[in-house]
Amino acid sequence: MRDNVYLQLIAVFVPLSLLSIGGGQTIVAAIEHQAVIVHGWLTQREFVDLFAISRSAPGPGSLMATLVGWKAAGWPGAAVASLALFVPSSLLAFVATLLWRRHDRHPWHRRAQIGLAPVATGLILASSLTVLRAASSTWPVWVLALSALAVFVSRPKVSPLFVLFTAGLLNVLVGKIG
Amino acid sequence: MSTDAARRTPDVSCVAIALLFGRVGLTSFGGGLSAWLYREVVAQRHWLDEGEFLSAMTLGQILPGSNVVNLSVYVGYRMRGVPGSVVAVVALLAPPMLVIVLFTSLFSNWLQGAAVHRFLEGIAAAAVGMTASVGLRAGRAVVATQRWPLALIVAVFVAVGVLRWPLVPVALVAGVAGLVLAGRAGTDA
Repeated sequence: MRDNVYLQLIAVFVPLSLLSIGGGQTIVAAIEHQAVIVHGWLTQREFVDLFAISRSAPGPGSLMATLVGWKAAGWPGAAVASLALFVPSSLLAFVATLLWRRHDRHPWHRRAQIGLAPVATGLILASSLTVLRAASSTWPVWVLALSALAVFVSRPKVSPLFVLFTAGLLNVLVGKIG
Repeated sequence: MSTDAARRTPDVSCVAIALLFGRVGLTSFGGGLSAWLYREVVAQRHWLDEGEFLSAMTLGQILPGSNVVNLSVYVGYRMRGVPGSVVAVVALLAPPMLVIVLFTSLFSNWLQGAAVHRFLEGIAAAAVGMTASVGLRAGRAVVATQRWPLALIVAVFVAVGVLRWPLVPVALVAGVAGLVLAGRAGTDA
């Protein structure tokens, strides 16, 4: 069974699904180690490229797993890797949802919501700073991010895709000039 | 935040769930999907109020797995039970999976061109701005009725964003602190 690539994908991604505490980015290094060094599904260079693609493409960054599965074994590999990564943690989230909703009429449930909401709010704000501080953030990136923030705050109804694509085009223009 | 304890969930079909999550999955360039979901689910359609959405998001952060997928499990379940949950997650993930593999297989070389790289980088930068605006909006809603949550928001932001402390322990400690403070302040319920 050691030779079956689908079983290998399951053996890699099911444990990572349950270990990815705090979000998908925490397991990127482990995926890289397994995919590049242990199993040789793709090269280091390919992994870096796929990582960049999964970051900027629509959908969650953990779609990285889909791409690794695809490199390892084509479309079936993509499906197997995705299911192996998303099903176990989703089942757990589902159980947690049931438990959390079970007492939703109690007064403490409402209070618990009030207590937990600020945490998510702080994390949303922190995540934007983390992304900006990470890696290759040049000054145009900061300017675009802050400009987009100003647009979204002053015009909440604006189409996000319009703002995002405009920012993309502006960054291309800056690259041509600079 | 709504103080109506018996707040009823709007009647939402599985088709509506599939359309919303499919749209978020396919249009959320540059990541930050929770911000996209907040815009759609809370700000524009009022399927859930801020407090419920954000507390579910906190739980989703502490649990293993992609945060936005955990959040989708919750939102789908609240709108339409088990089928809603499944529809939300599949609609969120399947379309971008197809797209990302198709794009990578067809345009792999093109995707690595300098102009495309800069285009995607600009999109990701604006997505950060959108995430921050959602954070500000959520923060305004959270502190609308009581002031103490502001201290917790700032503490979490500084710990994770500025000091780069690990997310899960911070979320756990801050979550417990939030529960205690809400219990003390709790005349709202």
